[in-house]
Amino acid sequence: MTRPEILTRRRRPLVAMAVAVAFILLAAACGSDSSSSSTATTKATVPSGPGVAIGAQDFPESLVLSEVYNQAFATAGYSSGVQEVGGFRDLLYGAFGTGDVNFALEYAGSMLNYLAKPEKPAGSDVNANVSQATVLLTSKKIVVAKPSSAVNTNAFVMTKARSEELGITTLSDLAAKGASLKLGAPSDCETNPFCLPGLKSVYGVDLSANLVALDDGRADALVGNQFDVAVLFSTDPPLAGNDFVVLTDDKKLLPADNIVPVMAQALVDAYGQPFVDLVNKVSAALTTATVTEMNKAYVVDKEDASTVASNFLKANGLA
Amino acid sequence: MSVAVLAVELGGSRGLISRTAAHLQLTLLVMAIAVLIAIPLAVVVSHSRRSGAVASGLVTAGRAVPTYAVIALLFPVAILWGLGLGFWPSVVALVLLAIPPLYTNTATGIRGVEPSLVESARGMGMTSRGVLRSVELPVALPLILAGIRTATVQVMATATLASVFGYQALGSYLTEGLAQRDDAKLLTGTLAVGLLWLVAEVILGLLQRRLTPWAAERPRRWRRRSSGPRAHSSPSGIPGAPSLSRP
Amino acid sequence: MKVVLGNDANSLIWWNWVGRNTDVIVERTVQHLQLTLLTMAIGIVIASALTAIALRFRVVTTPILWGTGLLYTVPSIALFGFLVPRLGLGYRTALVALVGYTLVVLVRNMVAGLEGVSPLVRESATAMGMRSAPRFWKVDLPLALPTVMAGIRIATVGTVGLVTISALVGEGGYGALINQGLARNNFATPIVVGASLSILMALVLDLMLWGLQQVLTPWNRTIRERA
Repeated sequence: MTRPEILTRRRRPLVAMAVAVAFILLAAACGSDSSSSSTATTKATVPSGPGVAIGAQDFPESLVLSEVYNQAFATAGYSSGVQEVGGFRDLLYGAFGTGDVNFALEYAGSMLNYLAKPEKPAGSDVNANVSQATVLLTSKKIVVAKPSSAVNTNAFVMTKARSEELGITTLSDLAAKGASLKLGAPSDCETNPFCLPGLKSVYGVDLSANLVALDDGRADALVGNQFDVAVLFSTDPPLAGNDFVVLTDDKKLLPADNIVPVMAQALVDAYGQPFVDLVNKVSAALTTATVTEMNKAYVVDKEDASTVASNFLKANGLA
Repeated sequence: MSVAVLAVELGGSRGLISRTAAHLQLTLLVMAIAVLIAIPLAVVVSHSRRSGAVASGLVTAGRAVPTYAVIALLFPVAILWGLGLGFWPSVVALVLLAIPPLYTNTATGIRGVEPSLVESARGMGMTSRGVLRSVELPVALPLILAGIRTATVQVMATATLASVFGYQALGSYLTEGLAQRDDAKLLTGTLAVGLLWLVAEVILGLLQRRLTPWAAERPRRWRRRSSGPRAHSSPSGIPGAPSLSRP
Repeated sequence: MKVVLGNDANSLIWWNWVGRNTDVIVERTVQHLQLTLLTMAIGIVIASALTAIALRFRVVTTPILWGTGLLYTVPSIALFGFLVPRLGLGYRTALVALVGYTLVVLVRNMVAGLEGVSPLVRESATAMGMRSAPRFWKVDLPLALPTVMAGIRIATVGTVGLVTISALVGEGGYGALINQGLARNNFATPIVVGASLSILMALVLDLMLWGLQQVLTPWNRTIRERA
């Protein structure tokens, strides 16, 4: 009985070749160390210190804003790059802890509610939000910069057709006429104080019976009439060709979710006040309108993030 | 992570029972469709040289695109066609996910059937169909079942994505737990999927033992013998068979 | 998604975008390939060890199969939520998760393959005087090889699709391209580029592994033709 032989003389070179190819591929793969970053060039006008690693979460606004600060830093001479990270605060702050990230764009209200869990102290006063968050971040050795005036918070949206049909243009209207309407919202709506509970306490309407939880695709679903009102975000670019109406928050339910940079203490220690001033300067140029415009350019007009960022910086005298 | 109290709603439209049932429904539908597509395809292809490469390529291609992306791309289509939210896109995406393990293992299993077995069956006058039924499938069965079990764990675990797109199932515990920063819900979702899969695995294991009883006679242990023939004095695992070793 | 053949933002492939972002595409390719190959290399080693243990100590066979399966059911966000504060971001962290997810496929096929070797064949080899170790390499493994290779192929293609979860730690490969396109109102070009290259990579790897399998198991090449 013959025994199966893998390495007969004829087959040996083929096997050797296969193994060699595998090794070459592995070596090539191991040889390069990739991290998703777009590094910019350095000029020697700043003190030496750690490179800035901006944690960009995987939604368009975060990528665009990160690129804005990235270019601002690079122009000023700092070594700076964008580090992508998943869109969850656990991961972001975990990365701060290990030093993979030392700068990020945050949202004053939601950040505070995350840090203060299980309490939810965020309100519509941005300075109160920021100062409370600052206290909670000291143990993580993270410092909060000045908030910008740009706000990205929940937006209750209806299609123009439906809004006109029902005569609803404000949240008070919704409370008065829309108690039986279907609401399409992200999964946190039932416990988010700025969603269902807030509608109940501030406007007196309870939409929980007709809640549709949908984390992705809400704008599409709204257009497709899967529900009457959708919870989107105030800096979402309106879908090209769609008519949306954002219901006015006349009783001031929604929080001050201003865009605010947070940075590692180590960065401030290394680079001092000039760095902080630069950060604040960029933040001051951000407004809800300009951020929405940048989002539109990136998401709808499909311009590259770097182009959108540099256009913004140039337009505001920061380039 | 602090240990959170698992106070979970059991009944109701967003309760554990309904979500588990929904998750199971999605999994079963996907597995049924995938089995009906992949296994016959593999059987047909194993008998012909040419289509093997094409079929294998298609199967591979379907899995290489991330499941989330497939659902996201099909979602607007489903809305357009009035098919509701995330259920049908998820079915398509998960079927694409389940096909490779089923197809590859079935094809490998059938190809691995010894030609001599097939020859003798043909020699006895069996038709191709008979050969398939009485020789090839039984021999390939352990592998086919392995493919089914692999596909099941992958589908069950990935079906949680459907909840991102609006399908109320076990994945909803994950999306809610993440969005509401509720560790108890996250834990519930993870444990529920894990337990559901364990139950499925046990059932499939019993099924496998039922369908392939001859495989139960496994060699008892892989012993490392330090000495020569004298050490092989006892049969390993074949009850009643005479010793096959030299005295 | 308006799909138009042309060279602008709405066409299936906007070549200008590709030209402007070639470095990103190359970077994603390296990322994706590196993660896939390293995951498979490490995964095969660990799975082999687990299989050896599972077959040596029958008591642990089922726990090992259950354990690897349960590992697969852990959601990636939960897994990374645990890993990131300890290991940070980057491809090392991604590897831990990807290797963990690939074990269930590899172990199951390795165990099935080695279990499927007929005890009679083993006995005859032993009867001919073969000791355990040479018998393993010359009899068991070659006979189990088709099944083991099938498992490696399934796992490899699966890993190519799974690499996208590493976007959570910034190593998303082609999946990150696709996700970026999805987030930008279904921007076709990065989606098409990311998906096509993913499929291409999976096909190439699958083909190479198939070739390797043919080389290693020549006796299995007989194709039975239908009468």
